[in-house]
Amino acid sequence: MPRFILFVVLLGANFGLFAQSFPLSGTVLDAESGDPLIGASVIVDEAVESGTLRGTVTDIDGSFQLADITTGTVLRITYTGFVPTTVTVASAEPLTISLGTDVQALDEVVVIGYGTQRKRSVTGAVSTVDSETIDELKPVKIEQALQGTVAGVNVTTQSGAPGAGLNIRIRGVATNGQNAPLVIIDGYQGDLSTVNPSDVATITVLKDAQAAVYGTIGANGVILITTKTGERNQPTQLRYNTYYGTQETSRSLNQLNATEYALLLNEAYAAGGQALPFPDASGLGFGTDYQDEVFENAPILSHDLTASGGSDKMTYSIGGSYLDQDGIIGGDKAGFSRATGRVALGVDLASRLKLSTNAIFTNISRRSLSEGGLGSVLFNALNAPPTLPLRDADGAFSLVPSTPGLGIEVINPAAQIANTFNDYTLNKLNGQATLDYSVVDGLTLTGRVGFNTSNSESRNFNKRLSYGGKVFDVTRSSVNQNRINDNNYSLDLYGTYVKTLGGNHNLTATLGTTVYRELGDGLFATGFDVPNNDFEFADLSLATGTSPEGARDVGSYSYDERRLSYFGRVQYDYAERYFLTAMLRRDASTKFGPENRTAYFPSFTAGWIALDGERLSGNSPIDLLKLRISYGILGNDQILNNGYIGTLSGEATYVFDGILVNGTAIGALPNPALQWEEAKKFNTGFDLNLLDYRVTITADYFVNTRDKLLISNIPVSGIVGTAAPGAAAPTVNAGAVRNSGLEFAINYRQRINSDWRVNLSYNFATLDNEVLEVNNGTGFIEGGGFGVGQLAPSRMEVGLPIGYFYGYQTDGIFQTAGEIEGAPSQTALGAAAQPGDLRYVDVNGDGVIDPNDRTYLGDPIADLTMGFNAQVEFRRFDFTAYAFASLGSEIVRNYERALSDVNRLDYYLQRWTGLGSTDEVPRVTTAATANQVFSDFYVEDGSFLRLQTVTLGYTLPLAIGKRDNSSLRLYFSGNNLLTVSNYLGYDPGASSGAPIGGGIDFGFYPIARSFLVGANLSL
Amino acid sequence: MLSLMPSNIKLILCAALLVLTAASCEEEFIDRDPVYSIDSENYFNSESDYYNALIAAYDLLQPSYLNVMLGEIASDNTLAGGESANDVIGIQQVDDMIHTPVNDQLDNIWDWMFAGVNRASFLLEFQDKIDFEGKAQLLAEARFLRAYYNFELVKWFGPIPLKETRFSLGDETSIPRSPVSAVYDFIEADLMAAISELAVTAPQVGRVSRGAAQALLGKVHLYQEEYTDAARLLQEVINSGNYRLTDDYDQIFELAGEHGPGSVFEVEYTDAEGAGFGCLQCSEGNVAVGFNGIRNYTGPLFDGGFSFNVPVQEVYDAFAPGDGRRDVAILNIDAWAEETGASFGIGFEHTGFYNRKYIARKGDSNIGDQNLTNPNNYRSIRYADVLLMAAEALNATGQDEQARDYLNQVRRRAFGDMDHDISASGDALRDFILAERRLELVGEGHRFFDLVRTGRAAAAIDGFTTGKHELFPIPFQEIQFSNGNWTQNPGY
Repeated sequence: MPRFILFVVLLGANFGLFAQSFPLSGTVLDAESGDPLIGASVIVDEAVESGTLRGTVTDIDGSFQLADITTGTVLRITYTGFVPTTVTVASAEPLTISLGTDVQALDEVVVIGYGTQRKRSVTGAVSTVDSETIDELKPVKIEQALQGTVAGVNVTTQSGAPGAGLNIRIRGVATNGQNAPLVIIDGYQGDLSTVNPSDVATITVLKDAQAAVYGTIGANGVILITTKTGERNQPTQLRYNTYYGTQETSRSLNQLNATEYALLLNEAYAAGGQALPFPDASGLGFGTDYQDEVFENAPILSHDLTASGGSDKMTYSIGGSYLDQDGIIGGDKAGFSRATGRVALGVDLASRLKLSTNAIFTNISRRSLSEGGLGSVLFNALNAPPTLPLRDADGAFSLVPSTPGLGIEVINPAAQIANTFNDYTLNKLNGQATLDYSVVDGLTLTGRVGFNTSNSESRNFNKRLSYGGKVFDVTRSSVNQNRINDNNYSLDLYGTYVKTLGGNHNLTATLGTTVYRELGDGLFATGFDVPNNDFEFADLSLATGTSPEGARDVGSYSYDERRLSYFGRVQYDYAERYFLTAMLRRDASTKFGPENRTAYFPSFTAGWIALDGERLSGNSPIDLLKLRISYGILGNDQILNNGYIGTLSGEATYVFDGILVNGTAIGALPNPALQWEEAKKFNTGFDLNLLDYRVTITADYFVNTRDKLLISNIPVSGIVGTAAPGAAAPTVNAGAVRNSGLEFAINYRQRINSDWRVNLSYNFATLDNEVLEVNNGTGFIEGGGFGVGQLAPSRMEVGLPIGYFYGYQTDGIFQTAGEIEGAPSQTALGAAAQPGDLRYVDVNGDGVIDPNDRTYLGDPIADLTMGFNAQVEFRRFDFTAYAFASLGSEIVRNYERALSDVNRLDYYLQRWTGLGSTDEVPRVTTAATANQVFSDFYVEDGSFLRLQTVTLGYTLPLAIGKRDNSSLRLYFSGNNLLTVSNYLGYDPGASSGAPIGGGIDFGFYPIARSFLVGANLSL
Repeated sequence: MLSLMPSNIKLILCAALLVLTAASCEEEFIDRDPVYSIDSENYFNSESDYYNALIAAYDLLQPSYLNVMLGEIASDNTLAGGESANDVIGIQQVDDMIHTPVNDQLDNIWDWMFAGVNRASFLLEFQDKIDFEGKAQLLAEARFLRAYYNFELVKWFGPIPLKETRFSLGDETSIPRSPVSAVYDFIEADLMAAISELAVTAPQVGRVSRGAAQALLGKVHLYQEEYTDAARLLQEVINSGNYRLTDDYDQIFELAGEHGPGSVFEVEYTDAEGAGFGCLQCSEGNVAVGFNGIRNYTGPLFDGGFSFNVPVQEVYDAFAPGDGRRDVAILNIDAWAEETGASFGIGFEHTGFYNRKYIARKGDSNIGDQNLTNPNNYRSIRYADVLLMAAEALNATGQDEQARDYLNQVRRRAFGDMDHDISASGDALRDFILAERRLELVGEGHRFFDLVRTGRAAAAIDGFTTGKHELFPIPFQEIQFSNGNWTQNPGY
């Protein structure tokens, strides 16, 4: 690659030789732009006898000084993003060293599971997110770094509450069961939710059959996390990052104020033939805005500190972090804090034996409020009447009256927050130790132990209180406590053999085994009659009251699951142009029934570098074109344990002699033929590099078919007794779902001149989901919930997307009685129609509207997702923006309680009031109507565009003592500044994550908009 | 051909070692026993195992709250009520006789009663595994329970599949729905076997006595219009001397009145352990009580609820002046509010009346969910019911004098005098007996089935179609599961 060769220019041709040592100075420049490179490492390459390493880093002008140099000394200069190089000192004259940009696109090493591969050789659909991107995004949780940065990976929030979980879906929803991808942290199975983002060096996503080396656990895709390590021959580097900011809700809904509410209520009561509730609505003003009362500005604070470096025989990285975040609802009542400590070491034990190990300790504390359903804080905030003052005359929180129009399930949300008491603490230690033994040249044996051990405890205090006859009243105080202990370990042993035959035949063979075991238990207990009715005394030791005799105030569970796997992989290429990989994995797992205990998962990937810049004539804009194809079979074993054994785990409680007695009953019915889900993954695509690697394009087309879907508690005939307490239907392999789509990513990066540098990237992914088979007798599975006591609104059914919305289709509003006369009767939906009511479509044409007229109303799966990221550097300024868009999904508005006196969104101001007034929003009335049944009136377009992050930074040179290469970057950052959407609710990007019933919005806690001020200090 | 270099002995050895060491331990490693669990097929090894399984069979009596509630709502006694026209749509539809095979509540009744059948059959399936003293009593109770559940199923759905052991998956496609007569034969066989072994006095309060099994068998015969057998069995209960009418009708439905002298069989509930809406069948409380409760109630004596199952004016007015039962059975909420200053809400189909026998009382601890954990036992078989059933059977076999005696025993308690005795005979007496059943048993879930079995439903219930609504539809999905093995009830 002649364009990128290193230039070493020796200035001042003074060839006089001095035997003695001399101080040496020099400058390191970017060969392309001529700019000085700040912070490049300059290391004296010499035998390390004292154990200290000599070297320095370039300062703000790109210059460096070294003492005690002799001619012939070899200097190694390294800088991230540039080709490392060595220089032999010829004289004491100042050196000017120019580094060429690293064409890392090809030499970059990608983690692929049980090994690594040069990017040029990768033939699967593999995407990576590097630490720079993570630094820019500053995610509170690492999952957020995947949103918009990797085509085909969709991340949805379950809630905006601090510490709440996120759902990651790689190439869509493929099963009605567990869709979460496998997470491998430094080679062992881990959990993303507790990872500190600043510990992460790279995230690699295996999207296709490339993941097949993980066999029965790889069907949902694999996320490989590599944590940070030190670099060899680098002096200790300290990095300190911090930010502080404030968060606020990204959205408040437009609700009626007190006057509007009162007038609307009057109209509804009048229409229902009832007396007006507000005969005089004047003077009510705006009343109480309960959203305002519950939302607040909440602080967020983060620190992390890392020291890393290495000698020629070892590397180290030691770090700690602390994050503290309050909730935008409830402040510290929804607070989340995370503290982590980490040590990573790499040591050459002998010339052929290398040890690398790390350990991470995590402590998480969290408090939470009721959210995501009827009775949650936001649900109450949206439904509490604005005419009710927050506090009564005595200063106590007002009680929402238990009137028929308000029901017994809406309470004052501020009182609810004040009366919520809980805490949760998790302590977790995870880590790994890996030994690499180079047996002979070309053969490496790797042994690894990975482990996770975590203990959590939580406590929930139910205060004795009364909301005035609501379902939330507590007549006896109690405290629920639990201790959960989860452990797992994995042992890997594999050999990798690399051989080149006859010059052009390159072969890498891997053969190995993995043993995995997870075991744990949980203990639960409840104590009643907490002293003083106070959280401070809420502990089992003090709360000595018990349930009535016979009731169990304790519970427990335990598990022990195991998996034993063998795998082999052969990677072959010819002249680094033709690539072929074949993999086979065999898994034996305790998850599966005795009839199907072991499984084989074959796959292959192939690639061809069709165009290679080195071989093309000089002026071709194309640097590299690689075509890829892959096919493989993977498995999913994420199902309930012991599904193949009939156990006496049912509930059998009755009352004899006036007290509870507990017996034994059959639990879930067994399915001895239980086996893994089978994912057949096909992928084809290409990678294209253009214009001296300034433009990178990756495109993929995939078809994933998931067969033998594990349907838990599959609906079966009731005669087998599966509806008994604690019983359940068996888990059966009885469905199939297909996802197909197109992914495209383009990246453009260029150093325009010495001042400007840009990096732009854009990606999109399409997704087409179709259920191919539901083999349970009915042909569909229902799920989700809408309103109170209504039919299930969501289904998985052959020929339609999984979890599609199923309800009544509307056709505007009945304007006149005449229209109703000619229309099919809607009485079966609750009431005969009146003018101003929704007109439902007689889908089956039988002349009446009844449950048989329900039909497809949309689905929660986005057809198209896009990410757009821009980074611009101008001199010392840097600017970053990340945006994400999701198009074509539907979301269900289900946070409106169907009661006459609850507050409403202000779209009701445009309700039907008479002939021709509107064809969209039905009339208001207290009389019975059929307007509340689940129909497309409640289904909205969930498309949105979100500006996820905008950051503006400035880097200061910083001289502290001798470390004149230090830098300090200050930045301002805004997260979730803007969401463009027509959706009426809080967050179109939220989902419960349930395959059937996701996308139904019970008042999702909106994500926070945050404004941060931060600093990155490097010493 | 590319292959591993044969000369590389080290490599071969390593690879072989890798596979061999791991392979040898696979069996041991993967074939672990599940942690702390008992295999259902290796159970029944001690007396306590049988007893524990029997508790499980009793457990499904509790979800029969829905049968009681819906049996009342389906009849002319009450309206569905609730919050709105869409509040538990399945209940609303049954009230209006517009129910279809797609109905969650009817599906629940099917599922829950069959779950009870299966739990009883589980015990009976292993009846011969071991022997111990007292086994016969336990098995007899299981037989009674299976009969109780099957009787509910035949009342609601008519022909049902029958099996001596547990149903297993696939039976729905192979075992036909037996005709009603065969179902009754099966029930009778269970009850007769139970009667011969059951203790006269149940070993624990809440367990079944011989009298209860006799009364149920009498009722089963009555439903088949086998009046001689019905009269014989019911009179055995009456003549046993173990039961008498509770002196004061008002005492029967309060907590203190549970298992009083007139109690033949009760479904036991408690306020000590609740459940959520996700698993109503899991509650140890009487879920119907919360559903029946007064909407948004604040006031003395009662607790609030969801205002379902509200009595209509017509049944309130059906009580003759001086009948003390009216104000025990039906709460006139307006009068009560005026008297006590209580306040209440107006729900859907508000009639001004509540089912006072089964609405929540104050002072219950209602652990879990206050509306789902009410302790009111369901008085499943009351002595007054036995008397009236006996009277009906005797009247049908021409023994009017004895029939009148039983009827008037009930009326004397109601009015507190003998001035309201009935002196009619023949069909007129039958009409009086049936009218008395409605008044004595209002709110207790019998009315719909009494109307159906006496052929009076069409006249009494709006929307009732003869030849269709005598039975409820088999749940839609059950017909699908049966894969053509079962056909839907007529008219649905």
